[in-house]
Amino acid sequence: MTQRGRIWLVVAGVVALLGIGALGLNERAQEALGLSFLRRDETWEAIQQRGAWRVGLDPSFPPFEMLDAAGTPIGYDVDLAHALAASWGVRAEIVAIGFDSLPDALKAGKIDSIISAYPYDERLTQDFHFSTPYFDAGLRIAVRNDSTINELTDLAGARVGVEWGGLGDMVGRRLVREGLQITVKPFETPSELIAALLETDAVDAILIDNVLLRQAQASDLPLRAVGAPLESVPYAIVTPRRADELQRRLEISLQQLKADGRLDELEHRWFAKNVTENVAP
Amino acid sequence: MAGAVGARIARSDSHFDKIAFTYYDGDVGVFRKHWLLWTVLAILLVSAGSLIWLQRGDGHVPLGPQQAVKTINPKVGIHTRLTDEVEEWKIKRTLEMVREMGAPWIVEYFPWAYIESEPGRYNWKHADTVVAHARRQGLRIIARLGFVPQWARPKDTTPLYLDEERFGDFGKFAAKFVERYRGEIEHVILWNEPNLALEWGYTKPDAAKYTELLRVVYPMIKAVAPEVQVLAGALAPTLAPPDSEFGVNDLLFLQAMYDAGAANYFDILAVHAYGWHFDPDSPPDPEVVNFRRTELLRSIMVKNGDGQKPVMITEGGWNDHPRWTRAVRPGERIAYTLRAYEIAQKEWPWLEAVCFWVFRFPWDQKSYQDYFTFVRTDFEPKPIYWEVQRYTRASAP
Repeated sequence: MTQRGRIWLVVAGVVALLGIGALGLNERAQEALGLSFLRRDETWEAIQQRGAWRVGLDPSFPPFEMLDAAGTPIGYDVDLAHALAASWGVRAEIVAIGFDSLPDALKAGKIDSIISAYPYDERLTQDFHFSTPYFDAGLRIAVRNDSTINELTDLAGARVGVEWGGLGDMVGRRLVREGLQITVKPFETPSELIAALLETDAVDAILIDNVLLRQAQASDLPLRAVGAPLESVPYAIVTPRRADELQRRLEISLQQLKADGRLDELEHRWFAKNVTENVAP
Repeated sequence: MAGAVGARIARSDSHFDKIAFTYYDGDVGVFRKHWLLWTVLAILLVSAGSLIWLQRGDGHVPLGPQQAVKTINPKVGIHTRLTDEVEEWKIKRTLEMVREMGAPWIVEYFPWAYIESEPGRYNWKHADTVVAHARRQGLRIIARLGFVPQWARPKDTTPLYLDEERFGDFGKFAAKFVERYRGEIEHVILWNEPNLALEWGYTKPDAAKYTELLRVVYPMIKAVAPEVQVLAGALAPTLAPPDSEFGVNDLLFLQAMYDAGAANYFDILAVHAYGWHFDPDSPPDPEVVNFRRTELLRSIMVKNGDGQKPVMITEGGWNDHPRWTRAVRPGERIAYTLRAYEIAQKEWPWLEAVCFWVFRFPWDQKSYQDYFTFVRTDFEPKPIYWEVQRYTRASAP
């Protein structure tokens, strides 16, 4: 063998060794070196072989997940799971699990993902991956459609309604402590709160969580959200940390659902007023 | 003259250089000869320094002046959750806020496994910190004891499992505990919710076995601190059907405790009084979990000739999660909580304290559990905190 040939042989050997070494790196090292493409996504492969994506949820959280009169899980998250699965040519298999046990079930491989109005939790990111949030259930400022209030600072001098004892009440009291000149007016129920804004004109704005706001809007009530969320509670889809391909597909499909209006459609369907009728108590 | 002096200086410099060189050369020689010794010494110094630095923690947080709780209702209490709270200032702040809310009582968990992780070797540091700050804030502590260290249980069991042969070990720990905090802690609860399989080491709950635990541990506590009041029960309110794998109905479990002879081995019944979605005036009903289920437990005590003993609510309350099926609206939670404190004070003379679950968690649970709290993880008070404070301060002396 020539000198040049020997050099190439050595170079090829080193490259091969580096390749084998990279495969043996733990997942964090692979990610740090941008080599995560080297690992197999066993979750995605199993979904393909099974023809089913096993989605865990706790059906006790309307309108996101609940049981119908026949005991079948229904809701926003259930439909979202079906829509995502359909985009990959598989079916969604809904697995009902208590909320607190969902991470353990995912870790143990009993399910492939969690879609259960699951808030982003930074403490779990060592084991799990959270998708781009598909819904933010946080606190919003809502005003009548014809209001001149367009952001937080416009509230100065305003009467602000809150549900007594709720998140809005807590934030309202905080805003007062921080010096915003508002009068916080508590109401016992969300219905009274919304009526105070739209019917009795008792307040100029209300602090309300985004689910209630969307429910009101889906019922064609003339109110709109203004400003940024005062508290953010983002719901995301949870997958195993190593499921790179599943995560990639999930992001693409979520973007598609958002772009073609199907996420809005889901919201409208499940946040409309009477949707929880016929739901098991 | 000048030349002579200059010559002396020159000689002197030269001599100094020589000495310095020799000294330097010698030092290097000493180091070379004893490099191992110097290295070990350096490692020891660094290690000692690190240990001292680690031991100092975040710095001592002053206890501050002695405080007293001001309240119109001396039965108001709350379950704190300081077990996993590491930073001392957070422990202090939590207990200050409890006092400022007007609650004289706290229930706090002191896990056996955290304190006696090896047989006979006790680490009281965290417990001492909690007790010192609580006492300085003028709070009365009801100490919940449990959580078995690994050395005291078979392999592959949970920390909530305890063999009968180990009841004596638990008793020794409990006795050490009350001895250490004698004069500071007057109440201890033995175990938690023994009528649930989960809390009984994933074995079938057994009232007779729990009574045996009381029979062993109670006299060991009394032997070192006879004045300490031993609380038993702390049963989970549950409508579990017979032969359920999850638990035993609390009413049946309490009667079974009496049948097994428990009356002689506790001073106060600990009750968990959750309201679920019922208001506090909903009448007691064996088929319903509500706040007045406490009265049903009390009637079992009376029926068994134990009516002279007091009751303490050591967990309970309402949850205001927006959509959890057992929750109430936030306003209802406030109204129900205040009404429950009133019931405790005006209608239940046999009740000594009502400690609701839970003041604050060290971190968010990200579930409905967060909606039991009175204060957020970042110490921002929820409206219920302000409303309880307003209630306890009304005409408070």
